[in-house]
Amino acid sequence: MKRKYIGIERKTARWGFAFTVPSILFFSLFSFYPILNALYTSMFDKRVLSLAPPKFMGLGNYTYIFSSPDFWNSIRATFVFTLGTFIPIVIFSLMVATFLTTLTSHRARGFFQIAYYTPAVISSVVAAAIWLLIFDPRGLGNQWVNAILASPGVDRKWLADRTMVQVSTMVVYFWKYIGYFVILFITGLSSIPPAIYEAATIDGSSRWQSFWRITLPLLKPTVVLVSIMAMLQCLKTFSTQYLFVQGGAPRAPINVMTLNIYTTGIRNQRIGRASAMSIVLFLIMLLFTWIQFRFSKSDDVEY
Amino acid sequence: MYVGLKRANWSAVLIWAILLIILIFTVTPLVFMVTSSFMESRQIVRMPYSWIPESFYYQNYIKALQGNDGSWIFPRNIFNSMFVSITVAITTVLIAAITGYGLAKFKFKGRHFVFMLIMATMMIPFEAIMIPLYMVAMNLRMQDSYAGLIVPFLVSAFGVFQMRQYLTTFPSEYLDASRVDGMGEIGIFWRIVFPNCAPVIATLGILSFRGQWDNLLWPLLVTQSEKMKTIPLYISKFAEEKMTDEGAMMAVAVIASLPMFLLFGLLSKYFIGGSSVYESRKG
Repeated sequence: MKRKYIGIERKTARWGFAFTVPSILFFSLFSFYPILNALYTSMFDKRVLSLAPPKFMGLGNYTYIFSSPDFWNSIRATFVFTLGTFIPIVIFSLMVATFLTTLTSHRARGFFQIAYYTPAVISSVVAAAIWLLIFDPRGLGNQWVNAILASPGVDRKWLADRTMVQVSTMVVYFWKYIGYFVILFITGLSSIPPAIYEAATIDGSSRWQSFWRITLPLLKPTVVLVSIMAMLQCLKTFSTQYLFVQGGAPRAPINVMTLNIYTTGIRNQRIGRASAMSIVLFLIMLLFTWIQFRFSKSDDVEY
Repeated sequence: MYVGLKRANWSAVLIWAILLIILIFTVTPLVFMVTSSFMESRQIVRMPYSWIPESFYYQNYIKALQGNDGSWIFPRNIFNSMFVSITVAITTVLIAAITGYGLAKFKFKGRHFVFMLIMATMMIPFEAIMIPLYMVAMNLRMQDSYAGLIVPFLVSAFGVFQMRQYLTTFPSEYLDASRVDGMGEIGIFWRIVFPNCAPVIATLGILSFRGQWDNLLWPLLVTQSEKMKTIPLYISKFAEEKMTDEGAMMAVAVIASLPMFLLFGLLSKYFIGGSSVYESRKG
Protein backbone atom coordinates (compact mmCIF):
# COMPACT_ATOMS: atom_id res chain seq x y z
CA MET A 1 0.00 0.00 0.00
CA LYS A 2 1.21 3.43 -0.88
CA ARG A 3 0.78 6.23 1.57
CA LYS A 4 1.12 9.83 0.74
CA TYR A 5 4.27 11.16 2.31
CA ILE A 6 3.70 13.83 4.91
CA GLY A 7 6.81 15.76 5.90
CA ILE A 8 7.85 16.07 9.52
CA GLU A 9 7.12 19.80 9.41
CA ARG A 10 3.54 19.16 8.32
CA LYS A 11 3.11 16.33 10.79
CA THR A 12 4.15 18.45 13.73
CA ALA A 13 2.11 21.34 12.36
CA ARG A 14 -1.01 19.22 12.85
CA TRP A 15 -0.12 18.94 16.51
CA GLY A 16 0.04 22.71 16.68
CA PHE A 17 -3.53 22.95 15.48
CA ALA A 18 -4.63 20.21 17.86
CA PHE A 19 -3.17 22.18 20.77
CA THR A 20 -5.35 25.17 19.96
CA VAL A 21 -8.58 23.18 19.60
CA PRO A 22 -9.62 23.39 23.30
CA SER A 23 -9.36 27.18 23.21
CA ILE A 24 -11.17 27.46 19.89
CA LEU A 25 -14.06 25.41 21.25
CA PHE A 26 -14.12 27.35 24.49
CA PHE A 27 -14.14 30.79 22.94
CA SER A 28 -16.70 29.77 20.34
CA LEU A 29 -19.14 28.58 22.97
CA PHE A 30 -18.48 31.15 25.71
CA SER A 31 -17.57 34.33 23.78
CA PHE A 32 -18.71 34.31 20.16
CA TYR A 33 -21.93 32.40 20.59
CA PRO A 34 -23.14 34.61 23.49
CA ILE A 35 -22.43 37.89 21.71
CA LEU A 36 -24.19 36.68 18.55
CA ASN A 37 -26.98 35.34 20.71
CA ALA A 38 -27.29 38.71 22.43
CA LEU A 39 -27.60 40.37 19.03
CA TYR A 40 -30.27 37.86 18.00
CA THR A 41 -32.20 37.95 21.27
CA SER A 42 -32.23 41.74 21.25
CA MET A 43 -34.68 41.50 18.32
CA PHE A 44 -37.21 39.50 20.35
CA ASP A 45 -39.57 40.13 23.20
CA LYS A 46 -38.08 37.35 25.28
CA ARG A 47 -38.76 36.63 28.93
CA VAL A 48 -37.20 33.90 31.04
CA LEU A 49 -40.14 32.00 32.41
CA SER A 50 -42.67 32.64 29.69
CA LEU A 51 -43.72 29.50 27.83
CA ALA A 52 -44.99 31.34 24.75
CA PRO A 53 -42.37 31.53 21.98
CA PRO A 54 -40.60 34.91 21.97
CA LYS A 55 -42.16 37.41 19.58
CA PHE A 56 -39.98 38.99 16.89
CA MET A 57 -39.96 42.76 17.18
CA GLY A 58 -37.08 43.92 14.99
CA LEU A 59 -35.46 46.96 16.48
CA GLY A 60 -38.34 47.39 18.89
CA ASN A 61 -36.19 46.82 21.96
CA TYR A 62 -33.72 49.44 20.76
CA THR A 63 -36.37 52.04 20.11
CA TYR A 64 -37.82 51.19 23.51
CA ILE A 65 -34.59 51.62 25.45
CA PHE A 66 -33.59 54.75 23.55
CA SER A 67 -36.89 56.37 24.36
CA SER A 68 -36.78 55.29 28.00
CA PRO A 69 -35.57 57.92 30.46
CA ASP A 70 -34.36 55.08 32.69
CA PHE A 71 -31.85 53.89 30.10
CA TRP A 72 -30.67 57.41 29.29
CA ASN A 73 -30.17 57.87 33.01
CA SER A 74 -27.96 54.76 32.99
CA ILE A 75 -25.89 56.12 30.11
CA ARG A 76 -25.55 59.40 31.98
CA ALA A 77 -24.59 57.62 35.23
CA THR A 78 -22.02 55.49 33.42
CA PHE A 79 -20.38 58.42 31.65
CA VAL A 80 -20.41 60.67 34.71
CA PHE A 81 -18.75 57.91 36.68
CA THR A 82 -16.23 57.17 33.92
CA LEU A 83 -15.18 60.80 33.40
CA GLY A 84 -15.22 61.60 37.11
CA THR A 85 -13.04 58.60 37.87
CA PHE A 86 -10.57 58.19 35.06
CA ILE A 87 -9.50 61.84 34.75
CA PRO A 88 -8.47 62.21 38.42
CA ILE A 89 -6.89 58.75 38.39
CA VAL A 90 -4.76 59.49 35.33
CA ILE A 91 -3.68 62.94 36.56
CA PHE A 92 -2.87 61.84 40.10
CA SER A 93 -1.17 58.60 39.17
CA LEU A 94 1.00 60.37 36.60
CA MET A 95 1.90 63.00 39.20
CA VAL A 96 2.67 60.43 41.88
CA ALA A 97 4.69 58.28 39.47
CA THR A 98 6.76 61.29 38.41
CA PHE A 99 7.38 62.18 42.05
CA LEU A 100 8.34 58.62 42.91
CA THR A 101 10.94 58.47 40.16
CA THR A 102 12.62 61.57 41.61
CA LEU A 103 13.15 59.79 44.96
CA THR A 104 16.78 58.76 45.25
CA SER A 105 16.17 56.08 47.87
CA HIS A 106 15.12 52.87 46.16
CA ARG A 107 13.80 51.50 49.41
CA ALA A 108 11.44 54.46 49.89
CA ARG A 109 10.27 54.17 46.29
CA GLY A 110 9.55 50.46 46.69
CA PHE A 111 7.71 51.07 49.95
CA PHE A 112 5.44 53.73 48.45
CA GLN A 113 4.68 51.58 45.41
CA ILE A 114 3.65 48.62 47.54
CA ALA A 115 1.64 50.78 49.96
CA TYR A 116 -0.26 52.51 47.14
CA TYR A 117 -0.93 49.18 45.49
CA THR A 118 -2.34 47.45 48.61
CA PRO A 119 -5.99 48.56 48.06
CA ALA A 120 -5.88 46.87 44.64
CA VAL A 121 -5.11 43.57 46.39
CA ILE A 122 -8.45 43.33 48.19
CA SER A 123 -11.58 42.52 46.22
CA SER A 124 -13.86 45.29 44.98
CA VAL A 125 -16.74 44.03 47.11
CA VAL A 126 -14.60 44.33 50.24
CA ALA A 127 -13.53 47.81 49.13
CA ALA A 128 -17.15 48.87 48.76
CA ALA A 129 -18.02 47.36 52.17
CA ILE A 130 -15.23 49.31 53.91
CA TRP A 131 -16.27 52.57 52.29
CA LEU A 132 -19.94 51.97 53.13
CA LEU A 133 -18.89 52.27 56.78
CA ILE A 134 -16.53 55.19 56.16
CA PHE A 135 -19.39 57.06 54.47
CA ASP A 136 -21.71 56.43 57.41
CA PRO A 137 -23.00 59.76 58.81
CA ARG A 138 -20.88 59.13 61.92
CA GLY A 139 -18.02 57.58 59.94
CA LEU A 140 -14.51 58.59 59.03
CA GLY A 141 -15.55 60.35 55.82
CA ASN A 142 -17.35 63.16 57.65
CA GLN A 143 -14.67 63.26 60.34
CA TRP A 144 -11.85 63.73 57.80
CA VAL A 145 -13.59 66.31 55.64
CA ASN A 146 -14.74 68.28 58.67
CA ALA A 147 -11.25 68.22 60.16
CA ILE A 148 -9.75 69.55 56.92
CA LEU A 149 -12.43 72.19 56.34
CA ALA A 150 -12.70 73.02 60.07
CA SER A 151 -16.46 72.55 59.95
CA PRO A 152 -17.33 70.28 62.90
CA GLY A 153 -20.59 68.39 62.90
CA VAL A 154 -21.59 68.79 59.22
CA ASP A 155 -23.03 65.68 57.58
CA ARG A 156 -21.95 65.47 53.93
CA LYS A 157 -24.67 62.87 53.15
CA TRP A 158 -22.18 60.64 51.29
CA LEU A 159 -24.74 57.93 50.61
CA ALA A 160 -27.99 59.88 50.70
CA ASP A 161 -27.50 62.90 48.47
CA ARG A 162 -27.92 62.51 44.69
CA THR A 163 -24.63 64.16 43.82
CA MET A 164 -22.64 62.94 46.79
CA VAL A 165 -23.42 59.27 46.21
CA GLN A 166 -21.91 59.58 42.73
CA VAL A 167 -18.82 61.23 44.18
CA SER A 168 -18.63 58.45 46.77
CA THR A 169 -18.51 55.70 44.14
CA MET A 170 -15.75 57.63 42.37
CA VAL A 171 -13.75 57.91 45.61
CA VAL A 172 -13.93 54.13 46.12
CA TYR A 173 -12.66 53.47 42.60
CA PHE A 174 -9.97 56.12 42.82
CA TRP A 175 -8.78 54.65 46.12
CA LYS A 176 -8.72 51.11 44.81
CA TYR A 177 -6.97 51.74 41.50
CA ILE A 178 -4.57 54.65 42.05
CA GLY A 179 -1.67 52.34 42.96
CA TYR A 180 -2.26 50.12 39.95
CA PHE A 181 -2.04 53.07 37.58
CA VAL A 182 0.98 54.51 39.39
CA ILE A 183 2.81 51.28 38.58
CA LEU A 184 1.75 51.41 34.94
CA PHE A 185 3.15 54.94 34.67
CA ILE A 186 6.37 54.03 36.45
CA THR A 187 6.91 51.29 33.86
CA GLY A 188 6.42 53.89 31.13
CA LEU A 189 8.66 56.45 32.81
CA SER A 190 11.50 54.01 33.37
CA SER A 191 11.69 53.34 29.64
CA ILE A 192 12.77 56.95 29.00
CA PRO A 193 16.58 56.95 28.92
CA PRO A 194 18.11 59.11 31.73
CA ALA A 195 20.66 60.48 29.26
CA ILE A 196 17.95 62.74 27.79
CA TYR A 197 17.36 64.34 31.20
CA GLU A 198 21.08 64.73 31.82
CA ALA A 199 21.47 66.52 28.51
CA ALA A 200 18.54 68.79 29.32
CA THR A 201 19.88 69.60 32.80
CA ILE A 202 23.26 70.51 31.33
CA ASP A 203 21.47 72.82 28.91
CA GLY A 204 19.91 74.55 31.93
CA SER A 205 16.44 73.03 31.90
CA SER A 206 14.61 73.00 35.25
CA ARG A 207 12.76 69.96 36.51
CA TRP A 208 9.44 71.61 35.72
CA GLN A 209 10.52 72.34 32.17
CA SER A 210 11.90 68.84 31.76
CA PHE A 211 8.56 67.39 32.76
CA TRP A 212 6.51 69.41 30.27
CA ARG A 213 9.01 69.37 27.41
CA ILE A 214 10.51 65.89 27.70
CA THR A 215 8.57 63.54 29.96
CA LEU A 216 5.06 64.32 28.82
CA PRO A 217 5.66 64.22 25.04
CA LEU A 218 7.67 61.00 25.31
CA LEU A 219 5.10 59.49 27.63
CA LYS A 220 2.13 60.37 25.42
CA PRO A 221 1.55 56.80 24.14
CA THR A 222 1.54 55.50 27.73
CA VAL A 223 -0.84 58.26 28.81
CA VAL A 224 -3.25 57.47 26.00
CA LEU A 225 -3.06 53.73 26.60
CA VAL A 226 -3.51 54.05 30.36
CA SER A 227 -6.40 56.52 29.93
CA ILE A 228 -8.31 54.22 27.64
CA MET A 229 -7.64 51.22 29.85
CA ALA A 230 -8.97 53.19 32.81
CA MET A 231 -12.04 54.25 30.81
CA LEU A 232 -12.81 50.71 29.69
CA GLN A 233 -12.48 49.59 33.29
CA CYS A 234 -14.86 52.32 34.49
CA LEU A 235 -17.48 51.64 31.82
CA LYS A 236 -17.84 48.09 33.20
CA THR A 237 -18.16 49.10 36.85
CA PHE A 238 -20.67 47.06 38.81
CA SER A 239 -19.63 45.90 42.29
CA THR A 240 -19.35 49.29 44.00
CA GLN A 241 -22.70 50.52 42.71
CA TYR A 242 -24.42 47.22 43.46
CA LEU A 243 -23.14 47.11 47.02
CA PHE A 244 -23.99 50.75 47.68
CA VAL A 245 -27.56 50.15 46.51
CA GLN A 246 -27.74 47.03 48.70
CA GLY A 247 -26.43 49.13 51.58
CA GLY A 248 -29.30 51.59 51.19
CA ALA A 249 -28.03 54.27 48.79
CA PRO A 250 -30.54 55.64 46.23
CA ARG A 251 -30.43 53.63 43.01
CA ALA A 252 -31.13 56.20 40.28
CA PRO A 253 -27.99 58.37 40.53
CA ILE A 254 -25.67 55.36 40.35
CA ASN A 255 -27.75 53.04 38.17
CA VAL A 256 -24.89 52.36 35.72
CA MET A 257 -25.46 50.33 32.56
CA THR A 258 -24.23 47.01 33.98
CA LEU A 259 -26.52 47.41 36.98
CA ASN A 260 -29.42 48.22 34.68
CA ILE A 261 -28.70 45.17 32.49
CA TYR A 262 -28.65 42.98 35.58
CA THR A 263 -31.90 44.39 36.94
CA THR A 264 -33.71 44.27 33.60
CA GLY A 265 -32.49 40.83 32.57
CA ILE A 266 -32.34 38.90 35.82
CA ARG A 267 -34.68 40.62 38.28
CA ASN A 268 -37.35 41.70 35.78
CA GLN A 269 -36.61 38.79 33.41
CA ARG A 270 -36.79 40.97 30.29
CA ILE A 271 -34.08 39.10 28.40
CA GLY A 272 -34.68 40.76 25.02
CA ARG A 273 -34.52 44.27 26.41
CA ALA A 274 -31.44 43.47 28.52
CA SER A 275 -29.74 42.02 25.42
CA ALA A 276 -30.34 45.25 23.53
CA MET A 277 -28.70 47.15 26.40
CA SER A 278 -25.78 44.70 26.34
CA ILE A 279 -25.25 45.33 22.66
CA VAL A 280 -25.21 49.09 23.23
CA LEU A 281 -22.64 48.68 26.02
CA PHE A 282 -20.59 46.39 23.76
CA LEU A 283 -20.60 48.93 20.90
CA ILE A 284 -19.52 51.76 23.21
CA MET A 285 -16.62 49.70 24.51
CA LEU A 286 -15.70 48.56 21.01
CA LEU A 287 -15.44 52.19 19.96
CA PHE A 288 -12.98 52.93 22.77
CA THR A 289 -10.95 49.80 22.02
CA TRP A 290 -10.75 50.85 18.39
CA ILE A 291 -9.47 54.28 19.43
CA GLN A 292 -6.92 52.58 21.64
CA PHE A 293 -5.62 50.48 18.76
CA ARG A 294 -5.35 53.46 16.46
CA PHE A 295 -3.35 55.43 19.00
CA SER A 296 -1.08 52.62 20.06
CA LYS A 297 -0.18 51.92 16.43
CA SER A 298 0.55 55.41 15.17
CA ASP A 299 2.21 56.83 18.25
CA ASP A 300 5.10 54.57 19.13
CA VAL A 301 8.10 56.57 20.20
CA GLU A 302 11.64 55.72 19.21
CA TYR A 303 14.40 56.94 21.47
CA MET B 1 23.93 78.98 44.53
CA TYR B 2 22.40 79.15 47.99
CA VAL B 3 19.00 80.18 46.65
CA GLY B 4 18.98 77.28 44.19
CA LEU B 5 19.68 74.78 46.93
CA LYS B 6 16.91 76.20 49.07
CA ARG B 7 14.39 75.99 46.24
CA ALA B 8 15.35 72.39 45.56
CA ASN B 9 14.75 71.58 49.22
CA TRP B 10 11.33 73.14 49.14
CA SER B 11 10.25 71.12 46.15
CA ALA B 12 11.56 67.97 47.86
CA VAL B 13 9.48 68.80 50.94
CA LEU B 14 6.41 69.38 48.80
CA ILE B 15 6.91 66.09 46.99
CA TRP B 16 7.25 64.20 50.25
CA ALA B 17 4.18 65.93 51.68
CA ILE B 18 2.03 64.93 48.70
CA LEU B 19 3.35 61.38 48.72
CA LEU B 20 2.61 61.07 52.44
CA ILE B 21 -0.93 62.48 52.09
CA ILE B 22 -1.73 59.93 49.41
CA LEU B 23 -0.13 57.24 51.56
CA ILE B 24 -2.46 58.13 54.42
CA PHE B 25 -5.42 58.12 52.05
CA THR B 26 -4.63 54.65 50.66
CA VAL B 27 -3.66 52.96 53.91
CA THR B 28 -6.12 54.26 56.53
CA PRO B 29 -9.23 52.52 55.15
CA LEU B 30 -7.37 49.22 55.41
CA VAL B 31 -6.25 50.02 58.95
CA PHE B 32 -9.85 50.95 59.69
CA MET B 33 -11.03 47.58 58.38
CA VAL B 34 -8.62 45.65 60.61
CA THR B 35 -8.98 47.74 63.79
CA SER B 36 -12.77 48.01 63.67
CA SER B 37 -13.09 44.25 63.17
CA PHE B 38 -11.89 43.92 66.77
CA MET B 39 -14.25 46.57 68.18
CA GLU B 40 -17.72 46.51 69.59
CA SER B 41 -20.16 48.46 67.42
CA ARG B 42 -20.63 51.20 70.01
CA GLN B 43 -16.89 51.96 69.87
CA ILE B 44 -16.81 52.03 66.06
CA VAL B 45 -19.53 54.66 65.75
CA ARG B 46 -18.14 56.87 68.55
CA MET B 47 -16.75 60.16 67.23
CA PRO B 48 -13.90 60.74 66.74
CA TYR B 49 -12.83 57.26 65.72
CA SER B 50 -10.29 55.78 68.14
CA TRP B 51 -7.83 53.61 66.28
CA ILE B 52 -7.07 51.18 69.12
CA PRO B 53 -9.72 48.61 70.10
CA GLU B 54 -10.72 48.99 73.77
CA SER B 55 -11.15 45.29 74.23
CA PHE B 56 -10.05 42.56 71.88
CA TYR B 57 -13.60 41.86 70.70
CA TYR B 58 -13.02 38.63 68.76
CA GLN B 59 -16.75 37.83 68.94
CA ASN B 60 -17.12 39.77 65.68
CA TYR B 61 -15.35 36.92 63.93
CA ILE B 62 -17.68 34.35 65.43
CA LYS B 63 -20.67 36.43 64.31
CA ALA B 64 -19.11 36.76 60.86
CA LEU B 65 -18.70 33.01 60.43
CA GLN B 66 -22.07 32.26 62.00
CA GLY B 67 -24.09 34.60 59.77
CA ASN B 68 -27.32 36.41 60.53
CA ASP B 69 -29.37 33.28 60.91
CA GLY B 70 -26.77 31.23 62.76
CA SER B 71 -26.51 28.84 59.83
CA TRP B 72 -22.69 28.83 59.68
CA ILE B 73 -22.90 29.05 55.89
CA PHE B 74 -19.90 31.39 55.54
CA PRO B 75 -17.24 28.64 55.89
CA ARG B 76 -18.97 26.81 53.07
CA ASN B 77 -18.94 30.01 50.97
CA ILE B 78 -15.23 30.46 51.69
CA PHE B 79 -14.64 26.91 50.49
CA ASN B 80 -16.64 27.63 47.32
CA SER B 81 -14.58 30.72 46.54
CA MET B 82 -11.34 28.83 47.18
CA PHE B 83 -12.37 25.86 45.09
CA VAL B 84 -13.61 27.93 42.14
CA SER B 85 -10.64 30.32 42.17
CA ILE B 86 -8.03 27.57 42.40
CA THR B 87 -9.68 25.47 39.70
CA VAL B 88 -9.95 28.43 37.35
CA ALA B 89 -6.31 29.36 38.00
CA ILE B 90 -5.16 25.83 37.14
CA THR B 91 -7.27 25.39 34.01
CA THR B 92 -6.44 28.88 32.73
CA VAL B 93 -2.72 28.27 33.09
CA LEU B 94 -2.86 24.83 31.47
CA ILE B 95 -5.12 25.66 28.53
CA ALA B 96 -3.46 29.03 27.89
CA ALA B 97 -0.03 27.38 27.93
CA ILE B 98 -0.93 24.63 25.48
CA THR B 99 -2.75 27.03 23.14
CA GLY B 100 0.02 29.61 23.37
CA TYR B 101 2.56 26.88 22.62
CA GLY B 102 0.57 25.70 19.61
CA LEU B 103 0.34 29.22 18.25
CA ALA B 104 3.94 30.19 18.96
CA LYS B 105 5.90 27.13 17.84
CA PHE B 106 3.95 25.45 15.04
CA LYS B 107 3.47 26.69 11.52
CA PHE B 108 0.04 25.28 10.72
CA LYS B 109 -2.26 26.81 8.18
CA GLY B 110 -4.57 29.43 9.65
CA ARG B 111 -2.60 30.01 12.85
CA HIS B 112 -2.75 33.77 12.37
CA PHE B 113 -6.48 33.53 11.94
CA VAL B 114 -6.87 31.47 15.12
CA PHE B 115 -4.71 33.94 17.01
CA MET B 116 -6.70 36.93 15.77
CA LEU B 117 -9.94 35.14 16.61
CA ILE B 118 -8.84 34.56 20.19
CA MET B 119 -7.56 38.13 20.50
CA ALA B 120 -10.88 39.44 19.21
CA THR B 121 -12.67 37.93 22.22
CA MET B 122 -10.75 40.38 24.42
CA MET B 123 -13.00 43.07 22.96
CA ILE B 124 -16.14 41.32 24.18
CA PRO B 125 -16.68 42.45 27.76
CA PHE B 126 -18.16 39.87 30.09
CA GLU B 127 -20.80 42.38 31.13
CA ALA B 128 -22.18 42.42 27.59
CA ILE B 129 -22.56 38.64 27.30
CA MET B 130 -23.64 37.77 30.82
CA ILE B 131 -27.33 37.50 29.92
CA PRO B 132 -26.84 35.03 27.01
CA LEU B 133 -24.22 33.17 29.09
CA TYR B 134 -26.84 32.84 31.80
CA MET B 135 -29.18 31.27 29.24
CA VAL B 136 -26.38 28.93 28.10
CA ALA B 137 -25.79 27.88 31.70
CA MET B 138 -29.52 27.24 32.15
CA ASN B 139 -29.71 25.17 28.97
CA LEU B 140 -26.69 23.11 30.01
CA ARG B 141 -28.31 22.64 33.45
CA MET B 142 -25.32 24.28 35.08
CA GLN B 143 -27.13 26.80 37.23
CA ASP B 144 -26.41 26.63 40.95
CA SER B 145 -23.46 24.25 40.53
CA TYR B 146 -19.67 24.37 40.60
CA ALA B 147 -19.65 23.68 36.86
CA GLY B 148 -21.74 26.79 36.34
CA LEU B 149 -19.37 28.89 38.41
CA ILE B 150 -16.21 27.55 36.77
CA VAL B 151 -16.85 26.66 33.13
CA PRO B 152 -17.31 30.19 31.67
CA PHE B 153 -13.81 31.08 32.95
CA LEU B 154 -11.80 27.99 31.98
CA VAL B 155 -9.32 30.04 29.96
CA SER B 156 -8.78 33.70 29.15
CA ALA B 157 -7.72 35.34 25.89
CA PHE B 158 -5.25 37.50 27.77
CA GLY B 159 -3.67 34.33 29.17
CA VAL B 160 -3.28 32.83 25.69
CA PHE B 161 -1.75 36.11 24.52
CA GLN B 162 0.77 36.19 27.39
CA MET B 163 1.79 32.57 26.92
CA ARG B 164 2.20 32.96 23.18
CA GLN B 165 4.33 36.09 23.54
CA TYR B 166 6.48 34.36 26.14
CA LEU B 167 6.95 31.17 24.14
CA THR B 168 7.88 32.80 20.81
CA THR B 169 11.31 33.43 22.34
CA PHE B 170 11.63 29.79 23.49
CA PRO B 171 14.52 28.19 21.52
CA SER B 172 13.17 25.74 18.93
CA GLU B 173 16.43 23.74 19.09
CA TYR B 174 15.30 22.19 22.37
CA LEU B 175 12.07 21.04 20.77
CA ASP B 176 13.79 19.57 17.72
CA ALA B 177 16.40 17.84 19.87
CA SER B 178 13.64 16.19 21.91
CA ARG B 179 11.85 15.12 18.73
CA VAL B 180 15.04 13.50 17.47
CA ASP B 181 15.29 11.70 20.79
CA GLY B 182 11.86 10.25 20.07
CA MET B 183 9.81 12.23 22.58
CA GLY B 184 6.09 12.63 21.80
CA GLU B 185 4.59 16.06 21.22
CA ILE B 186 2.54 15.97 24.42
CA GLY B 187 5.61 14.83 26.35
CA ILE B 188 7.59 17.74 24.93
CA PHE B 189 4.93 20.20 26.03
CA TRP B 190 4.51 18.70 29.45
CA ARG B 191 8.15 18.05 30.35
CA ILE B 192 10.05 20.74 28.47
CA VAL B 193 7.83 23.68 27.52
CA PHE B 194 5.45 23.92 30.48
CA PRO B 195 8.10 23.86 33.25
CA ASN B 196 9.90 26.66 31.44
CA CYS B 197 6.88 28.97 31.60
CA ALA B 198 7.20 29.44 35.37
CA PRO B 199 7.10 33.28 35.44
CA VAL B 200 4.00 33.46 33.23
CA ILE B 201 2.39 30.60 35.15
CA ALA B 202 2.80 32.60 38.37
CA THR B 203 1.45 35.92 37.06
CA LEU B 204 -1.37 34.33 35.10
CA GLY B 205 -2.31 31.99 37.94
CA ILE B 206 -2.54 34.85 40.40
CA LEU B 207 -4.46 37.02 37.94
CA SER B 208 -7.04 34.29 37.31
CA PHE B 209 -7.32 33.42 40.99
CA ARG B 210 -7.98 37.05 41.87
CA GLY B 211 -10.48 37.39 39.04
CA GLN B 212 -12.70 34.70 40.55
CA TRP B 213 -12.08 35.65 44.18
CA ASP B 214 -13.36 39.09 43.21
CA ASN B 215 -16.19 37.96 40.95
CA LEU B 216 -19.59 39.22 42.11
CA LEU B 217 -21.59 39.47 38.91
CA TRP B 218 -21.51 35.91 37.58
CA PRO B 219 -22.13 34.09 40.89
CA LEU B 220 -24.98 36.55 41.45
CA LEU B 221 -26.57 35.30 38.22
CA VAL B 222 -25.80 31.62 38.32
CA THR B 223 -26.25 30.62 41.97
CA GLN B 224 -29.49 30.37 43.87
CA SER B 225 -28.98 28.35 47.04
CA GLU B 226 -27.02 29.73 49.99
CA LYS B 227 -24.66 26.79 49.99
CA MET B 228 -23.45 27.48 46.42
CA LYS B 229 -22.75 31.17 47.03
CA THR B 230 -19.28 32.69 47.10
CA ILE B 231 -17.65 35.23 49.40
CA PRO B 232 -18.60 38.39 47.42
CA LEU B 233 -22.26 37.35 47.57
CA TYR B 234 -22.03 36.72 51.31
CA ILE B 235 -20.55 40.19 51.81
CA SER B 236 -23.27 41.87 49.77
CA LYS B 237 -25.96 40.02 51.70
CA PHE B 238 -24.30 41.04 54.94
CA ALA B 239 -24.21 44.67 53.79
CA GLU B 240 -27.91 44.49 53.00
CA GLU B 241 -29.08 42.90 56.22
CA LYS B 242 -26.57 43.81 58.86
CA MET B 243 -25.38 47.32 58.15
CA THR B 244 -25.73 48.08 61.87
CA ASP B 245 -23.27 45.40 62.95
CA GLU B 246 -20.20 47.20 61.66
CA GLY B 247 -17.72 45.09 63.60
CA ALA B 248 -18.97 41.79 62.23
CA MET B 249 -19.08 43.22 58.70
CA MET B 250 -15.44 44.23 58.90
CA ALA B 251 -14.58 40.81 60.31
CA VAL B 252 -16.13 39.32 57.16
CA ALA B 253 -14.06 41.75 55.10
CA VAL B 254 -10.85 40.77 56.90
CA ILE B 255 -11.52 37.06 56.43
CA ALA B 256 -12.24 37.65 52.72
CA SER B 257 -8.99 39.61 52.32
CA LEU B 258 -6.63 37.34 54.27
CA PRO B 259 -5.76 34.94 51.41
CA MET B 260 -5.10 37.91 49.12
CA PHE B 261 -2.80 39.64 51.60
CA LEU B 262 -1.01 36.35 52.17
CA LEU B 263 -0.47 35.82 48.44
CA PHE B 264 0.57 39.44 48.02
CA GLY B 265 3.06 39.19 50.87
CA LEU B 266 4.65 36.09 49.39
CA LEU B 267 4.45 36.89 45.67
CA SER B 268 4.08 40.65 45.32
CA LYS B 269 6.41 40.59 42.31
CA TYR B 270 3.94 38.51 40.31
CA PHE B 271 0.95 40.59 41.40
CA ILE B 272 2.47 43.70 40.00
CA GLY B 273 3.84 41.87 36.97
CA GLY B 274 0.34 40.65 36.19
CA SER B 275 -1.06 44.15 36.30
CA SER B 276 1.48 45.52 33.90
CA VAL B 277 -0.41 45.21 30.65
CA TYR B 278 1.86 47.85 29.21
CA GLU B 279 4.84 45.51 29.27
CA SER B 280 2.97 42.66 27.69
CA ARG B 281 1.82 44.92 24.89
CA LYS B 282 5.40 45.80 24.07
CA GLY B 283 6.63 42.22 24.42
